[in-house]
Amino acid sequence: MASSGGGGGDRLQVVPSRMTLTQIKGRLSGANKGHSMLKKKSDALTVRLRSILKQVLERKNQSGDLCREALISLAVAKYIVGEEFKVHILENVDKSSLKVSFHSENIAGVTIPLFDKVSMDQDSTEEYEKDTNDGGGVSNQGLSNHQFHSFVSLSGLSKGGQQIATCSENFRKAADNLISLAELQTCFTLLDEAVKVTNRRVNALENVVIPRLENTVAYIISELDELEREEFFRLKLVQNWKERESKSAQEERERLERTSQGFSSFESVPQRVVDGLTLNEEDSDIIF
Amino acid sequence: MEDIRDLVAFNVDDGYIEALVRGYKSSLLTSIDYVNLTQCETLEDVRMHLNGTEYSTVLQDEPSPLSPSVIAEKCSAKLVLDFQYIRSQSTYPLTKFLDYLTYPYMIDNLVLLVTGTLHERDIGELLEKCNPLGTFPAMSTLSIVSTPEELYREILIDTPLAPYFAECVSFDDLTERNIEIIRNVLYKAYLEDFYQFCKKIGGTTEKMMCEILQFEADRRTINITLNSLGSKLSREERENLYPSIGSLVPEGTWKLARAEDVQSVHSILESYDLFRRLLQSSADNPGKSLEDAFIEYEVQLSKKTFEQQFHYGVFYGFLKLREQEIRNILWICECISQRHRSGISNYVTIF
Repeated sequence: MASSGGGGGDRLQVVPSRMTLTQIKGRLSGANKGHSMLKKKSDALTVRLRSILKQVLERKNQSGDLCREALISLAVAKYIVGEEFKVHILENVDKSSLKVSFHSENIAGVTIPLFDKVSMDQDSTEEYEKDTNDGGGVSNQGLSNHQFHSFVSLSGLSKGGQQIATCSENFRKAADNLISLAELQTCFTLLDEAVKVTNRRVNALENVVIPRLENTVAYIISELDELEREEFFRLKLVQNWKERESKSAQEERERLERTSQGFSSFESVPQRVVDGLTLNEEDSDIIF
Repeated sequence: MEDIRDLVAFNVDDGYIEALVRGYKSSLLTSIDYVNLTQCETLEDVRMHLNGTEYSTVLQDEPSPLSPSVIAEKCSAKLVLDFQYIRSQSTYPLTKFLDYLTYPYMIDNLVLLVTGTLHERDIGELLEKCNPLGTFPAMSTLSIVSTPEELYREILIDTPLAPYFAECVSFDDLTERNIEIIRNVLYKAYLEDFYQFCKKIGGTTEKMMCEILQFEADRRTINITLNSLGSKLSREERENLYPSIGSLVPEGTWKLARAEDVQSVHSILESYDLFRRLLQSSADNPGKSLEDAFIEYEVQLSKKTFEQQFHYGVFYGFLKLREQEIRNILWICECISQRHRSGISNYVTIF
């Protein structure tokens, strides 16, 4: 019975009936739909992944240059101002001038983190500019509010201030680049993971689930066909019997009619009548 | 008249030390040494080349991964040793003169310590970062200070910097911003004081040193102007930081205090022959800043001090040249360690 399933191979263990067939067909169409949707998702993710990969490469090349430039400008500042300025600036830092905040974005069902740089003294510069616009700028209150910014611009006041400013500018650029690189890199790994999972699902649907369901459908259909053929054969058989029966009954009748017309023509008629009767009885037993 | 007194009496007290300094000067790295250094591929090669110079003993015991800052640190340590040796051999007017040379470092150290104490850092840690040329005895006790008044009463009063503090700084506002200003006010007071001292010594010393100090003052004035252009240092504050000596006083400083952008600063400086030349030389070479031009001129002035005898300028010149030499070595080492071959020749050759 098992070997009679269509296409051989792997299939679900089900009772072949019309109801199961409908169920399995429903599952098959669901699987096909899911397959096409997952395929679309995987394509979307891959497109995004490619673009991120491009950006990552670009940023990586850039960051090498930027870091180099920053270190060189630090060397220039050291040359002009002397090794000590580092210590002075270190001592005067009490809060970070650059912070990274974080929010997330949804790409085709994958949550990826995005990093935003929050520049602390950028704010104070803006405030300061507002201050100067408002009140001429030299109010003591305004000054005490922005100690940090004013310190940065005053370090190296007498020597190498420009070099220190360039140095800090270059390092800021390098830091910006690193932040965006980190963001892209995280995105990349997450998306890569997601693409892999999705592809695995697509492949599983395509190569395992859908063929199995198809096999099951084919199997059920073939089983049902066979049942039908059996039924048909039986019906045919019954029909044959019935035909034969009616034919013999008719022959009997004809023969009786013939005997009633002339008894003397056949000697063994009574014998045959008896035979016919017994045969009839036996038949009725076998069939019904 | 004074020159004759120099000639007669100088060698009695200071002849030996001057000879000593001239000896040190002759061991400064030459342009051939610099060319050799720039050819180096690694810092180990630098060590090898330095072994053939006066710095032969300096890097001997250093463990192998060298860093540019370690090399510079070791070279500075040698300078400090030499300077302290000179100072210990000197007698009165020269001792005082040499002390004056250490005051800028003292100001830097003091500012560093005060900033550190404001942020409640560990004093021991800060002391390591101080320049050893500018040490003063009360330095390690700075940790007991909690208020600015105490700082002045307990510690600064014993240092040579006390008079500068007394006249320039009110202690109401010891914030970070003000500390940077205090540093410059102190330096200004120091320059003026040193200038007066050199005038008092007179003779060739006066001639030599006043030119150098005037240039130093002008350089500060210009730098302060340029560096404060974008900041919110008010015009009055800026003018307060200008030293009252120098060739720019009074007209140039008055104008500079009112300058609003780099262009106007340049146009003010155009009318001074020296600064026009320096500006021109920095404009001609794209890789050269005005600061580099200043440094070159300073080296030139320092070299000039060795052309005359019987004066104290040589000590100043020696200190500056050695400092420049250390900066050159640092720059070359940085360039080598960062493989920045294109800028490696941006140092200032001394001899």
